[in-house]
Amino acid sequence: MNPHAKLISLLSLFLGTTITISSNHWVMAWTGLEINTLAIIPLISKSHHPRAVEASIKYFLVQATASALVLFSSISNAWVTGQWDITQMTHPTSCLLLTTAIAMKLGLAPFHFWFPEVLQGTSLTTALLLSTIMKFPPMTILLMTSHSLNHTMLVSLALISAALGGWMGLNQTQTRKILAFSSISHLGWMAIIITYSPKLTILTFYLYILMTTAVFLSLNTTKTLKLSTMMTSWTKTPVLNASLMLTLLSLAGLPPLAGFMPKWLILQELTKQEMTVTATIISMLSLLGLFFYLRLAYYATITLPPNSANHMKQWHINKTTSTLTAILTSLSITLLPLTPMMFATL
Amino acid sequence: MSYLVFFLGLCFVLGVLAVASNPSPYYGILGLVVGSVAGCGCLLSLGMSFVSLVLLLVYLGGMLVVFVYSVSLAADPFPEAWGNWRVWGYGMGFLLVVFVGVVVGGLMELEMGGVRTVDCGGPVSVRMDFSGVAMFYSWGVGMFLVAGWGLLLTLFVVLELVRGLSRGTIRAV
Repeated sequence: MNPHAKLISLLSLFLGTTITISSNHWVMAWTGLEINTLAIIPLISKSHHPRAVEASIKYFLVQATASALVLFSSISNAWVTGQWDITQMTHPTSCLLLTTAIAMKLGLAPFHFWFPEVLQGTSLTTALLLSTIMKFPPMTILLMTSHSLNHTMLVSLALISAALGGWMGLNQTQTRKILAFSSISHLGWMAIIITYSPKLTILTFYLYILMTTAVFLSLNTTKTLKLSTMMTSWTKTPVLNASLMLTLLSLAGLPPLAGFMPKWLILQELTKQEMTVTATIISMLSLLGLFFYLRLAYYATITLPPNSANHMKQWHINKTTSTLTAILTSLSITLLPLTPMMFATL
Repeated sequence: MSYLVFFLGLCFVLGVLAVASNPSPYYGILGLVVGSVAGCGCLLSLGMSFVSLVLLLVYLGGMLVVFVYSVSLAADPFPEAWGNWRVWGYGMGFLLVVFVGVVVGGLMELEMGGVRTVDCGGPVSVRMDFSGVAMFYSWGVGMFLVAGWGLLLTLFVVLELVRGLSRGTIRAV
C-alpha cells in the first residue's frame, strides 16, 4: 500500500479513537466513530482481492448504520432532556437505541454477522487492528453510559453472543474466523457484567486485547491462516508453537493462565448479584469455545499431523524473534497471580 | 402559514419515500431533490435561513451534481422505471409504514398534550444559526479542525480506493 496513504489512515485511526475516548459531547463521539470507519476502509481493502473489497464494503455499511443509530439516540435524548452530555443519557428509548448501535459496532450477537467475514477478508495484522483498536471507542461509549443502560437487554445480548461465538466457531478451519468468533464470545462476557461492575468490563477488555494480540502476532509470524498450516508450523518455530498453545488456552479461560482472571471475577460478581443461573449458563456456553481452543492448541503442538512434513525442525529460519510477541505471550500466560492488584487498581 | 409548513413536511416524507422505493438511482434522485427542497423549506419556516441556503447549495448544487455526473458515466441502457410492479410494491409498503407512524404518533400526541407545531420542543439555542457559524470559528475551532480533517480524510480514502485502474480496488475501472 502507498506509504503516505497508510500513514494518513493509521494517524486518522488514532485520531478518531482519541476523539471518541476523550469526548463529553455526543457529536464529538460520533465524529470520532465516523473518522475511524473512514480511515480503516483502505486498510481493509489494501490487498485488492475481491474478498477484501467485499469485506471493506460490509464493514462500511454496518458501521455507518450503527453510527446513524448512535446519532439518532443522542439526538432523541437531546430533544427530551435538552443536553448532549454522554454520561447523562436518561431517556430509556435512547438508551435502548444506543445499546443496539454499540452492539452493531462491536459485533455482539445478533449483530455479529459481518465480523467473521470482514476478518476473513483482511490480513492478520488488519484483523488484529479490527479486533482491538476498533473496539476501543464503542466500548468506551458503553462504559460511559453503563449506569443508565437496560440490564435485561445487555444480559440477553451477552448470552446470545457467548452461545453464537461458541457454536459457530466449532466448524471453522480458518484461524481468522475462529478468532472472530472468540472475539464475539469475549464481548459477550464483557457485556454481561457492564451494568453491575464496569471495572470488570474494563479488566476483561484489557486482558482480551493482551491475549488476542499475542495470538494474532504469533499466528502472523508463521502466517498461519488455516488449521492445516498450523499442523506443520512447528517445524519453523517450535518454541512459538508451544507458547501459542498456552496463549490459546489462556484465551479459552483455563486456570492457572491469565485468561481465567476475568471469567472468575465476573462469575463472582454475578453470584453476588443473585444471578447464579445466568452465571451457570454463560460458563456452560464458554465450554463450546473451549473445544475449538483445545483443537487449535492440539494442532499447534502436534508433531505427527496427517499432512506431515518430511523433515524435523528446519535448520534455517529467517524469522527474527519479535520482542513484542514475547512480552505479550509471557504476560498473557502468567498474569493470574496479580489478580488482587489488577482488580484493585482498575 | 401552518398549511404551508404542513405541505412542506408532507413533501419531505413523500420525497424520502420516493428515494426508498426507487427503481434505480436515476429516478430516486428526483425524490431526493423534492425531499431536500421541502426540508430546506421547513428550515426556513423555523427562521434558519443561512443553514437552509447552505444546505441547498452544498447538497443539491454540489453533491447532487457530482452524483449525477458520475452516475451518468455508468448508466445502464434500460433501467427500471416508476411503472414497474416491484416499485409499486415498495412504494405501497413504505406508504403503509408512514401511515402507521402517523397514526401511532397521533395517538401518542392525543394522550400527551394535543396538537403541536414543528418548533415547540427541543433545544432553543439551535435557532441562532448565523451566530453558530461565528462560534465555529472562535470557541468551536477544535470541532472545526476535526470536521475539516474528517472531510479531507474522506477524499483521501476515496482516492486510495479508486487508485490503480483495474489492478486497484475497483476492477471494473
